[in-house]
Parts: sequence; C-alpha cells; structure tokens
Amino acid sequence: MIERARSIAEARPRVIAALAVHLRDLDLAEDAFAEAAAKCLELPQTPRNVGGWLLTAARRKAVDAIRRREAEARAAAGSLGVAEQADDMADILKLSEPIADERLRLIFICCHPAIALEARAALALKVICGLPVKEIARVFVTSQQTMFQRITRAKAKVQAAGIAFELPPRKAWGERLEAVLLTLELAYTAAFQDAAGERDDELSSEVERLARMVAELLPEEPEALGLTALILLARSRERARVDGDGAMVPLSQQDTEKWDYPAIEQARRWMDSAAQLGATGPYQVMAAIQLTHARRGFDGDTDWAAIAALYDALMVMRPGAMTAINRAVALAKVQGAACGLEALEGMDAEALQNARPFYAARGELLAQLGQNDAAAQALDRAIALDPARAEMLFLKAKRMEVLGQN
Amino acid sequence: MQYMLLITEDESIYGGDDGAKLMEATLAGHMKLIEALSVSGREWSGNRLKGADTATTIKYTGGVGALHDGPYSETHEELGGYYIVEADDLDGAIEWARMIPLPGNGGIEVRPIWPNDE
Repeated sequence: MIERARSIAEARPRVIAALAVHLRDLDLAEDAFAEAAAKCLELPQTPRNVGGWLLTAARRKAVDAIRRREAEARAAAGSLGVAEQADDMADILKLSEPIADERLRLIFICCHPAIALEARAALALKVICGLPVKEIARVFVTSQQTMFQRITRAKAKVQAAGIAFELPPRKAWGERLEAVLLTLELAYTAAFQDAAGERDDELSSEVERLARMVAELLPEEPEALGLTALILLARSRERARVDGDGAMVPLSQQDTEKWDYPAIEQARRWMDSAAQLGATGPYQVMAAIQLTHARRGFDGDTDWAAIAALYDALMVMRPGAMTAINRAVALAKVQGAACGLEALEGMDAEALQNARPFYAARGELLAQLGQNDAAAQALDRAIALDPARAEMLFLKAKRMEVLGQN
Repeated sequence: MQYMLLITEDESIYGGDDGAKLMEATLAGHMKLIEALSVSGREWSGNRLKGADTATTIKYTGGVGALHDGPYSETHEELGGYYIVEADDLDGAIEWARMIPLPGNGGIEVRPIWPNDE
C-alpha cells in the first residue's frame, strides 16, 4: 500500500498538470485528483499504469463536478449558457492519452511573478507536490489558517487576473524563469533551514522532486541546472548534518561516509551540462562552492582557496550578508582567523535581518585566535537569537569548549 | 479579457528646467503605444487626466460623503491617466503596460475589468 501511495505521489505532477491545463482551474484539478487518488487506494489491486488510471478517474470526477456546478447555475439563472458548457465537456472527455506533459505550464502558472513570492512557493508545493497545507504552514512559520488563506488568495488571483494557462513565449522567459527559480530557492531555503533540527524528509524530498522536475524540463537553462545541483548537494548531506545527540555538525566536520554519493555525482553532471551552456550565474557559483566542499569526500581535503575565490565571485553577482559571512569564514581558512575576523568587522551586525550566523562565525574565529571571553560573548549573542534545537546544541557545546579553555 | 492600466507617477519631474523636454519624450512614447494599439486591431481606449491639483474627491466616512479638495490619496505619486486594453491574459496586458513611458518614479497598475456578463 505504501508502494501504491508512492506511485500516486510520483504520478501527481504529470496528472495534475494535465488536468489543470485542460480544465483551466487549479481547484477543480486538485479536487478531482484527490478524489481519484482516494479511489485508487481503495482498489483491490494496483493498476498497471497508475498515472493513466488516475487521469481517467480524475477526469470523470471533474466532469461530475462541472455538471453539478452547471445544474446549480441553471437552477439559479434559467438555462442560459448551457450550449457553451457542453462544448467544454466534450473537450474534457477528449483529454489525451498518453498524458501530455504539461508540467512546465503548471510551474509557470504557480510561479508567476504576479503572485507574491511566498504564496508562489506555497502554491507550487501544494498544487504540484500535493503537500498538505499544515506542512507548508510549518515550513513558512505561520498558522495553518493563514497559509490556507494565502494559497486560496493566490489561486483566486490566477483566475481573476487572467494568469495564462499557456506557456509564455520564449522571449518573455527571462523574468518568468527568474520567478520560477526564486520560488524554488525559497522552498529550498525554507525546507532546509531547520533541516539540522527536526528534519522533515517528506518536505525536503518534495522540494528535491520539484527541483529535479525543473531541471528535467529546462535542460537548456544553466541557472535552473545550477539551482537543482545546489539543492541536490544539500540533500546529499542530510544524514551527516546532525550527530547522535541531535546537535548540528558543521559541514567541514561532517562524516563524509554519511554523504549520498550518487546524489553528488548527479549534481556534478548537472553542473557540467550547465557549464557547457556557457552562461554562469549565482546558482551555478553556489553549487560550485558546495561541490568543492563535497570533494572532501573524495580527496579528504578541502580547497579553501577555491571556495574563497568562488565567494568573491558570488559577492559580485549577488551580494548579501550570508555570502559575506561565508566568505569571511573561507578567508579565515586560507589567510588565518585574524583575516577572516577583519572581513567580518566590516559588517554592520545591527543592520542584519538575521544576525545569528554573524555572531556564530565571529565566536568561532575569536576562539581560533584564543580570545575566549570575546568568543563566548559572541556565542551568547548567537544563542540569544533563538536558533533551532540542533544549532542551539552546537552553539552551547562550542561555548562550553571555549570557556573550558580559560 | 479587458484590463485597465492605471498610470500613477510623480509628476514633479515634468516641472524643472528639462521638464518640457521630458514631457515631449513621454508623449512621444504614448503616441508610439497608441499606434501599436491601433495596429493591433483590438479595442482600446485611454485618457490623460488633468493634474491632481484639479481633483475633487467625495470622501465617505460610514457612508456619509463630504467634498474634499484634492485627489483621494495624498502621496507624491498621482493618478495621471489610464488605458483600457484587450489582452488574452495577464502577460499580454503586462506587455502593453510596459510600453507606457514612465521616466521617473511611479507605477502602472494592471487590473482586470469585471466582464459585463458575470
């Protein structure tokens, strides 16, 4: 039965996309799919072609729903507009098999830049991956009700503002693709931010599924490949991110035997394909940084000079506080802790939206320089900023270690 | 679908020394857009509005209206004109909206118009 549920989840993006594009209605597609999936689970035997079975069943459910809706409308307003609806119905019944791949259209709908970024990510996770609203709300640290409203509002906007169910013309892809990648990045960041803490396999594997899908559908877009490689590299370390006590293990100290090497290999292949397309970008640089870290699993060593140079490049392409902090840490490995600390001093911690990584990095570098009191103070500030459990355990252990040396 | 494109901008840049020149360039941009709209063969309309200082607003509080000298929203950016265009979808409407010249600060709001038959 678990096997069958998995087949249904795997078939979902393709089936739901075909339904949504054909019905031009996200809600109707979702409802019809949910009913079909429930029915599929009740069957005595798993159908040979789960996707095809779901599409046929969902199509029937959708037709029923439209008929019901029509009957209600007729009852309310006489018999106007019936002929037109009948044509629609014939169209729905014609829905082709094998299932046309409409996943890209659905992605462009859910990730349209006219929808707010957070709502886009939520909509994609809900509609394409079928993640429950409760889960999505948890990732975006909001209540289930708020998230439900946000998704409902986004769907209403798709319908009311006339967001196209067609693929955008190629010349308009720049901005649209950027919106898709940003959505994916947000989903990834949200899914992995507390990955070191209460890890959520379902969610991060759904984000990976979405990323793989984008890479598969957009093999000519180097940044799409770069972002997917980045997400896969993060996933490859999931089992190594937390120790037996549940404390975070920093990347440079992770047990490389726990890394997922087929995932690393797949990420490398995507990055090679991206490089061949000849246009670099921030996602490819971020992936290159993570791949350089991954090399420790093969060479037993980390090329920090290469990592520092990649962070330099990233600071030019996409400057940001996290990039600056990571660059300082890499610089410390190459030119010494004092040098890294100097790079950190240039930043205004008060102005940071999230100052925790800044204080954690500062604490680490001060400890390396033997300035234990100052290091403990910096770690205290990081601890005071309410980290997730795994990071909290790590920071507290570090603090104990620093104070023990006094 | 029909969309209304509402042009809201800071008109102070059309004052100043180079203002007249800038206005000329902006109007030329509008002429280009109007030409494109006419060539498209789709229905459209649009108008430039007189300055916000000519506006009168009936402001309602709890359903009771009182006349007020000035535009509805007291910001630096004012509603200066609008277009109503036909487009297949939001992307099409946004494409028209992007052709509206706006050399300074402001925005173009793209709003679907409620169809008559709904």
